Amino acid sequence: GGGNPHGPYLDDLLRTGRDLLRVVLGGTGGPPGSGGGGGGRPGAGFDKWLPVVIPLLLVVVWVYQSLYRVDTREESVELFFGKYYATGTEGLNFAPWPVVTYEKYPVIIENTIDIGKGSGIDQGLMLTGDENIVDIDFQVVWNVKRLDQFLFNIDRHRDTIRAVSESAMREVIARSDLATILTVNRESISQEVELLVQTTLDSYNSGINIVRLNFDKADPPQEVREAFLDVQAAEQDRDTAEKQAEAEANQKLAAARGEVARMLQEAEGYRAQVVNEAKGEAARFVAVYDEYALAPEVTRKRLYLETLERVMSDVDKIIIDENTSGGGQGVVPYLPLNELRRGGNN
Amino acid sequence: MRRLPIIVAVIAVIAFVALSSLFTVNEKQQALVLQFGEIKRTICGGNTGTERDYELAESCDVDGPGLYFKIPLIQEVAYYEDRILPLETDPLEVTPRDNRRLEVDAFARWRITDPVAFRQRAQSVQNADDRLQSILNAALRQVLGTVTSENVLSPERSVLMTRIRDIARRQAASLGVEVIDVRIRRADLPKENRDATFRRMIAERQREAADERARGNERALEVRATADRQAVEQVSDAQRQAEIIRGEADAERNKIFAEAFGRDEEFFAFYRSLRAYERSLRGSNSTLVISPDSEFFNYLKSDTAIPSQ
Repeated sequence: GGGNPHGPYLDDLLRTGRDLLRVVLGGTGGPPGSGGGGGGRPGAGFDKWLPVVIPLLLVVVWVYQSLYRVDTREESVELFFGKYYATGTEGLNFAPWPVVTYEKYPVIIENTIDIGKGSGIDQGLMLTGDENIVDIDFQVVWNVKRLDQFLFNIDRHRDTIRAVSESAMREVIARSDLATILTVNRESISQEVELLVQTTLDSYNSGINIVRLNFDKADPPQEVREAFLDVQAAEQDRDTAEKQAEAEANQKLAAARGEVARMLQEAEGYRAQVVNEAKGEAARFVAVYDEYALAPEVTRKRLYLETLERVMSDVDKIIIDENTSGGGQGVVPYLPLNELRRGGNN
Repeated sequence: MRRLPIIVAVIAVIAFVALSSLFTVNEKQQALVLQFGEIKRTICGGNTGTERDYELAESCDVDGPGLYFKIPLIQEVAYYEDRILPLETDPLEVTPRDNRRLEVDAFARWRITDPVAFRQRAQSVQNADDRLQSILNAALRQVLGTVTSENVLSPERSVLMTRIRDIARRQAASLGVEVIDVRIRRADLPKENRDATFRRMIAERQREAADERARGNERALEVRATADRQAVEQVSDAQRQAEIIRGEADAERNKIFAEAFGRDEEFFAFYRSLRAYERSLRGSNSTLVISPDSEFFNYLKSDTAIPSQ
């Protein structure tokens, strides 16, 4: 121990440390606490190693700390004394601590923010250009395109994206009419909003990439939904009424056409019947006449007698001869017409 | 060996001094070097990965992140945020020029551009937040009070946002802060008006629905009436044609008869009369009271004929 008041104490410390190392490294060690004068000698070779081993160990630990992995979905940024100088990509990267520090982030992973699905103020009711209210739910999907800008230019990314997206959507809705929003292709509205959001985020140099913007819902608000549905129902009703009327009209016209056909057919039938009957009758007459022409007197007589025979045989007859002797002393005809008629009806 | 502890101690002291005279400012930070409270050096930040698009504040000595020196123990470093910070306002009721109240909220993005001024005027981000809120609210009221509510609900909205930003920017500059932009997020009707709007929307739809149905009925009537008319037209036309046909048939019949019977009119009279007698005098409805003078009874009383004339 020299002039140093701490000398003996420090010496002991160093000695114990050396002994411990020796034991750990498997060298031959003296009995613990046997230090003193004899302590150094058995481990003379070991002492030579110490200045080599310890620094080596430190280097190994340092290298281990300075290496880092970046996996497929990630990127890293390396800062040289705090100043950004490189982006690290997939695989093993080297960032000598403490000169170079790094930060990793999963840039490829798509993050989703839902807007409009909450309740109260957040429920996505938006005012349209013609002062109607529409209920919008939509999603913003984003990831990172420039990690350095993303990490170092903006704080609270999620809030920023959400606020910018909602503002953009409300802006686009506010310059459209309700009818257009409900009926026109939502694709064009979402593209407009997406462009606006991306432009705004780029103006902050945020390094954020909007992957896409989806509409979940663009509907009339709950309170008026029924009235809107009724309009659709009314359109259906109008359609139905028209179709029904057309069906009935067709039926009516078909019936009329049927009637027309029937009437014409009937008339034609009448014509055929009448003409044929006439032809028949005429032919019959002509036939008879031709016969008659061959022997007129005889035929005439024959026809007359045949006909009267048929007639007489069928009717009730009362033959009264007024030419009997006595002149008017014959029978006085008394014909009760009532009886006749009654008898006739039997 | 005896000198080892001294060496170690000396190394330790040197290391300590070295470490405490170095400091880094990273990309997310700006810094002020203070000596007993007095500002000695200003290290400002900037946008990463782009050209700086604004003028460095006058008080900035140097810009950019990196490694810097300071006098250990005597000087200390105060860090400030370099990134763009968000600010959202609470919903605010504004009254545009046409007195149709709107409930508006906005959000802004801002950055500390002058750490010196910031330290003096705002001190902390929280404090700055509060100050900026009231600046924003005032700017909103000012700009939106000069336009009609329709302008807010139109493509002019973005112009209004620029004006609000400019006003806010001027007033915030003294805080050492740049207002990067201000955007209107919501501009809606206050709750009371909302119900009125809903009622109006419902009424409009109801009118539309009634209109549709009426049009449907009207068209249906039209179609039916047209069909009725056409049906009647067709049937009556058919009637006409049928009558013509019947007339033609009758004429044809007469022609046939005339042609046939015309060969011998007298014989026709005879023959036809006989047929008529046969048909019309039937047992069921006829009783003949006749005298035997008829030619039929020619041979009834004697075997010689009474000449018929």
